[in-house]
Amino acid sequence: MLYVLEDLINGILMGSIYGLTALGLTVIFGVLKVINFAHGSMLMVGMYLAYWSVKLTGVHPYLAMIVVVPVMFLFGFYLQDIVIKPIFKAERSVREPITVIIVTTGVWYILDNLTLLVFGPQYRNLPNNPLAGKMLEIGGLMLSVPKLWGFFLAIAVACALYWFLQKTRLGRAIRATSLDRDAASLMGIKQFRIYNITVGIGAALAGLAGVALVPFFNIFPTVGVLFDIKGFIIVVLGGLGSIWGALLGGIIVGVIESVGPQFMAATWTEAIVYGLFLVFLFVKPSGLFGVKYDW
Amino acid sequence: MTRQALRKVSLAAAAAIILGIPVFVTSPTYLHILVLLFFYAYLTTSWNLVGGFAGVLPLGHSTFIGIGAYTSTILYLQYGISPWIGMIVGGFLATIVGVLIGLPTFKLRGAYFALATIAFAEAVRVIVENTDYLGPFKLNGPRGLQIPPLNVGFGNLLFNTKQPYYYIVVLMLFGVIALTYLVSRSKLGYYLNAGGEEPEAAMALGVNVARCKLMAMAMSSFLTALAGTFYAQFTLFIHPKSIISLDLSFEIAFIALIGGRGSIVGPLLGALLLRPVSDFSRIYLGAVLPGLHLIIFGIILILVMMFQPRGLHQPLARLYNWLIDRLIVERTVKLSPTKE
Repeated sequence: MLYVLEDLINGILMGSIYGLTALGLTVIFGVLKVINFAHGSMLMVGMYLAYWSVKLTGVHPYLAMIVVVPVMFLFGFYLQDIVIKPIFKAERSVREPITVIIVTTGVWYILDNLTLLVFGPQYRNLPNNPLAGKMLEIGGLMLSVPKLWGFFLAIAVACALYWFLQKTRLGRAIRATSLDRDAASLMGIKQFRIYNITVGIGAALAGLAGVALVPFFNIFPTVGVLFDIKGFIIVVLGGLGSIWGALLGGIIVGVIESVGPQFMAATWTEAIVYGLFLVFLFVKPSGLFGVKYDW
Repeated sequence: MTRQALRKVSLAAAAAIILGIPVFVTSPTYLHILVLLFFYAYLTTSWNLVGGFAGVLPLGHSTFIGIGAYTSTILYLQYGISPWIGMIVGGFLATIVGVLIGLPTFKLRGAYFALATIAFAEAVRVIVENTDYLGPFKLNGPRGLQIPPLNVGFGNLLFNTKQPYYYIVVLMLFGVIALTYLVSRSKLGYYLNAGGEEPEAAMALGVNVARCKLMAMAMSSFLTALAGTFYAQFTLFIHPKSIISLDLSFEIAFIALIGGRGSIVGPLLGALLLRPVSDFSRIYLGAVLPGLHLIIFGIILILVMMFQPRGLHQPLARLYNWLIDRLIVERTVKLSPTKE
């Protein structure tokens, strides 16, 4: 029983980190109506950035955020400004342009393989990592310390993002664009500037998730693909475009993955996650927190 | 000679050249590469039926290849049933699966369909990888299945040489192109086009968009499964990592999109242009610069989408029409002096 409880808690911790990896995906989808297939690659770039800033300066892993977040924001901002915007302009009339999805996949291929080319295929771990394998014991329960920090980070980031979207002027402009981009443009909101900022925020969130993962996860060029597919499942479970949905969806996936192996072969839990996803598509496609009419 | 006649002549010439290749190319290695090239062209053209005409983005077509390959191989190995029959059985199984994926998702926004196909393909891969026996059927988990090259003959779809495979895949390709042509000229084709471009307007005119998409999906998954059987009989070895992989699904979709979705020959052109590029960069640069071929692929993908969002088919079609116009003009110029 204690084991199940321990797995449950560890599942929630890991799941909230999954939620953090999916936050950027859901934000970009909410506004641009485009699945960002390069999201996992952005997370991977974030992990490499964190790795090198720790390796070169020797700071605490979480302090790498200071570098990762602004760099990733600028990366996303200019990616949208230079590469994606022209395509949006060309297909202005299309509500949900497939071409943009394809371009993000191109970005994924380039980022992953450029990393492979430059840094090689080997798995890396943080050098002299103060959090490596650290456990916290509470009443007989063993909890992983870096995952606990990741959990707090995920909650804090989700709250901050929610506050930003609800209370600030820019956040309201983003929400207006996501509801109806034409109406928002008529109100004087610059649509493509909002898109630039949104993709920037999405990339920065991917980078943050990378920082949360770096202390306990291997770093390698295709690490993003793991979180890509998980992220897709999470955002559909939670409802495309919903912040709390992404967090909850992540926790559901994390708990299944962590508790499942107590009852069956570990690989089957993966199949159960996919099965749950398909069941949701049939029964409640808008997800747990999805808005009914549109996304 | 009229423009129409010239088109027909050039089409017949292309078909004759393709059919005549094995007479001149006898090296098994090159024939192998050519068979795989046309195999890809067949896959992208089948994909195009739903991905191009229906205006959705299926990203899990390797599921159907897997279903086709595993069905015919299991029937052949365990029950001695000819792969030709297994091919059809696999096709129908794939159709059922394709319709099941489409049923809930075609009513939703496009993103859901794309994600559902990915998740489904991954689920199938995970299940096949972790199952040795599915009821009475031996899947053999991650080790895959091997077809012993015995009882060679047309009935068993097994041959000692590459030529028969070449002709079979080429005929399959011609068949699927003819079908695409017929669909694009049919009521269904126009409905699909309308539903893909302006779903609301099409629905307002009484077109059942979701049903048309389902029909396209059914055709596409059936045809893709046939290719799965062909692949199993050609390589004699199938395992889940290679044929139910996401990489393969993405490759099919993106080759078709670069070639030109929604056109008849676009996906075929995509395969003929891109497969050699990726093969050669992998063969010659793969050891020195790993992953370079995928970087090139990604760059091509982005550039094509930025400058030719409808695919490479459009500029090439313009070039082709221009050439045909030139040929006609030259003839009339040549004819005029003799008339005088």
